[in-house]
Amino acid sequence: MGVIRAQPARVTDWAAKSVGAAWRAFDLQLTTYAGLLVAIGLVMAYTNSVESGSMPLEAGTTFSRGLMWAAIAVVVFVLATAFDYHWLKTLAWPIYALQLGLLILTLAIGDGIGGSARWVSVGPLTFQFSEIAKILMIIVLASYLASREGRLDSLASILGACLLVGPPLVLVMLQPDLGTSLVFGAILAGMLWMSGASLRWLAVLAVGVMAMVPVAWTYLLHDYQKARLISFLDANPDIQGAGYQLYQAQIAVGSGGFVGKGLTNGTQTQGDFLPVQATDFVFATLAEELGFIGGIVLFILFVLLIWRVLVAGWRSRDAFGTLFAAGVASMIMFQLVVNVGMVLGVMPITGIPLPFVTHGGASLVSMAAGLGILQSINIRQTKAAW
Amino acid sequence: MSVFLDDRPKPIRSLSRFLAFALIVIVGVSGLTARLFYLQIVDGGRPTTLSARNRTVIDAIRSPRGVIYDREGRALVTNVPTFVVKLRPSDMPLDQRPVVVDRLAALLGMTAAEINAIIDGNPGSTFDLVRIAGDVDRLTAQLISEAGADLPGVEVAVEARREYADGPLMSQILGYSAPISGDQLKTLKDAGYLPDDLIGKVGIEAEYETLLRGVYGSESVERDASGRRSQVLQTIAEARPGDSLTLSIDTKEQQYAQKAMLWAMKEVGIKRGVVIVMNPQTGEVLALVSLPSYDNNIFARGISNADYAKLLKNPDKPLLNHAIQAHYPPGSTYKLVAGTGVLADKKITSKTKVQTKGYLTLGSTKFYDWNHRGFGACDIYCGFGHSSDTFFFQMAGKLGIDRLGYWAKQYGFGKPTGIDLPGEVAGIVPTNEWKQDVLGSPVFPGETYQAGIGQGYDVVTPIQLINAYAALANGGTVYQPQIVRDVVGPDGTIVRPFKPKVLQKMAVPSSVLSIMRNAARSTVTLRHTYNLVDLPIKVAGKSGTAEFGTRDRKGRLPFHSWFVGFVPKDVRHGSFDGTDSQLIVLAFAYDSRTKGNVATEIVKYYLQQHFGIKKDYRLPNLLKRGNFYQSN
Repeated sequence: MGVIRAQPARVTDWAAKSVGAAWRAFDLQLTTYAGLLVAIGLVMAYTNSVESGSMPLEAGTTFSRGLMWAAIAVVVFVLATAFDYHWLKTLAWPIYALQLGLLILTLAIGDGIGGSARWVSVGPLTFQFSEIAKILMIIVLASYLASREGRLDSLASILGACLLVGPPLVLVMLQPDLGTSLVFGAILAGMLWMSGASLRWLAVLAVGVMAMVPVAWTYLLHDYQKARLISFLDANPDIQGAGYQLYQAQIAVGSGGFVGKGLTNGTQTQGDFLPVQATDFVFATLAEELGFIGGIVLFILFVLLIWRVLVAGWRSRDAFGTLFAAGVASMIMFQLVVNVGMVLGVMPITGIPLPFVTHGGASLVSMAAGLGILQSINIRQTKAAW
Repeated sequence: MSVFLDDRPKPIRSLSRFLAFALIVIVGVSGLTARLFYLQIVDGGRPTTLSARNRTVIDAIRSPRGVIYDREGRALVTNVPTFVVKLRPSDMPLDQRPVVVDRLAALLGMTAAEINAIIDGNPGSTFDLVRIAGDVDRLTAQLISEAGADLPGVEVAVEARREYADGPLMSQILGYSAPISGDQLKTLKDAGYLPDDLIGKVGIEAEYETLLRGVYGSESVERDASGRRSQVLQTIAEARPGDSLTLSIDTKEQQYAQKAMLWAMKEVGIKRGVVIVMNPQTGEVLALVSLPSYDNNIFARGISNADYAKLLKNPDKPLLNHAIQAHYPPGSTYKLVAGTGVLADKKITSKTKVQTKGYLTLGSTKFYDWNHRGFGACDIYCGFGHSSDTFFFQMAGKLGIDRLGYWAKQYGFGKPTGIDLPGEVAGIVPTNEWKQDVLGSPVFPGETYQAGIGQGYDVVTPIQLINAYAALANGGTVYQPQIVRDVVGPDGTIVRPFKPKVLQKMAVPSSVLSIMRNAARSTVTLRHTYNLVDLPIKVAGKSGTAEFGTRDRKGRLPFHSWFVGFVPKDVRHGSFDGTDSQLIVLAFAYDSRTKGNVATEIVKYYLQQHFGIKKDYRLPNLLKRGNFYQSN
């Protein structure tokens, strides 16, 4: 496998340098910020476990499962760091096939609430393959765009990228998981932007997407999706129905105040008023229990993390590294704004997780893989740009 | 890989694009920060100052249900406070459920299985309150209230229950309100009904549900850790109290009517009966008694399955309003239709005499008069006054079944009167077309004969019959009977004043109805109704004896007794040439089996009470058990 073959190659290439140089190129900050965010996520899982009345370390609680996934994430991160990312370009097409396969599998055998198909059960674990598909999409797109280096400002490159994103986006939409399909769109936009694509064509593309919105609204969206999308705009929301989560989340956030109520003291979460407090609405719990301070700390960690991701991209001497970093940064940014914005009532309700923090195995593992690949990019540049 | 060092392509990175990206990140996160700051710091004082451990839910504000008054302004139903025990399943931790249910069962004197069934049968979501028990006594309510921490999710609420002042006297009119059923909730949830709501189920309570209920408001309410309300934070929408109703029913008249019926029931052993009193000029119903009745307070308090089963099993159907929800053969009272028809269609005049006999022969069948001697040559006054069957066999024969049906419909038979009570049935007016549709053959001449004396396929409800005679009394206007006079708004102003509703004007010359009124008067004056003529008031009317069911060993059929009578406005000196009658009374005695007509005695007794006639004209010896047809 790649891991075994790539490792000695790195050592020989850098024979003149010490192993310490590679270690210096490893971005400790990036890992630290991500680690802190995961820690916050675990704390939230802990407080939710306490509030649901069970011992946090018991098997099966949100917290113990979170710990297990964090351990798995660390392993994945280390493996991805060790793996020479250049192989990914070679493997792009198989990876694309794998991505489509996972999504089709989800549609075929997936379970979900209310007739949707989002989770696939693997033994005792449930797995949301669409989370993994996001990272795979970034790899595929980065490989494709890197292969078109020199022609990146042409319309053909943009169309090619759109064609690549199209099938997985549609497959996710069919689940139906509107949120994740929007993430695909954000990844595409961010990577095209960073690839130096022609501004003119990007503008045309943006106008085209805008024009599609009314069509999608009329023909593609389910009624419940529409209800969730517009409930945040409603001044007198149906608080017993589609606006219920939102209303309860806002009460939770508002009651947190400056310093919060303290961990495990959130009454909104304790009372189970937030139906998906451990996942999509985790920020509401955080804002209620840790207050404005906690929210600011979270934001700062995210900004620093995105900064380090962008730095990795900047330092990369090859297009793949730059583009991959752009994809990861776009994904984190988009999910942060949409997820937190949803809790704060300024974004529609979509099932997008908060990266690293949301309790959800697939999301955490795929983020770990993404950061691992970034570290792999970091340590495989001979000269740091800054 | 070594190639990688030497032949490195120029990076595609662009500083401006990186900076633009960074700018978007900064703007996005700043926006989130600003919003968080607004929610938690600027706007955040509101919820936090209240209580750190309190939680907020949206509750409905129930509107007080409208009250119902009789025409004199006496309250027939009031809202009384009562303790109700409810449970919000989402506030009851699952692992504690068995303990909580057991405790609650012990306190309420119910079984755990009953409570579990109620919780699991809850049609709403787990966030909705489930009504466990109503009308809980004060001590139990206090105990449950104080055991709050041991009974998570359980709430004691003070709610209004309907208290019906007169119970069985008015229950056939008022009906009752009771907890909403799962099926009803499914259809009414969108209209704002709650899983633990009350709803009018039958009678006026059901008919006027929307008005009585008003409009529920909503408020956000803070609840303490055990789930009980501690404070109202904000009223989102005010509740609008329900409208009140003033009935045309007069409690006094209702009591007279019930007393008259109960007397006959006791005297003769009748099991079912109806008395209706109306004003023929407006269609107002002054009294409506259907016996046996039931106590609607039992339903309002939450009826037990055993009690309900007992009511359902009673063969005399106390839950059925026999005045409107059942139809019966009208007997001789139906001769009004044939009489009006032959006069209006000019088959006879008021002077025409027809030979009456002991029986008529049609083919090989003999059609007997109730008087096996006949009455000789009779005009309409004689024929109607003596209720001669052979007279009306001939009248029906002259008209034919379809004209007979036409005139029945002119009087409003064959379709519901539209009285403002639910569940009214239509009755049947047989015609050739009807019989062809339902039974697949045309009407035979003998059946036309029978229809002419109200013994054929024709069936009527008591309300239809009195309404037809009311049209006779008022000169040909069929009104819609009305129980509710005025709708009174929450502030006491009348929002919908009483207005008579005309169903139809009969297409008949007023002279014909004048003849028929005087023919009805001759029923009294010819002493067909015994001593009714001796009363110091003038009564016109018609009795009916309607056979039904199967013959006994002696070949006799059981029969119902009918009487419907009306008085002129000037009850002592008035005349039936006029159309000014203000009072019409109907009595119906199911399966009466007496020598005389018990319904006449019931109406007589009612009139004595109504007009304060001291002397008692009742004839108890006529009520001895026997058979009217056999004794004549």
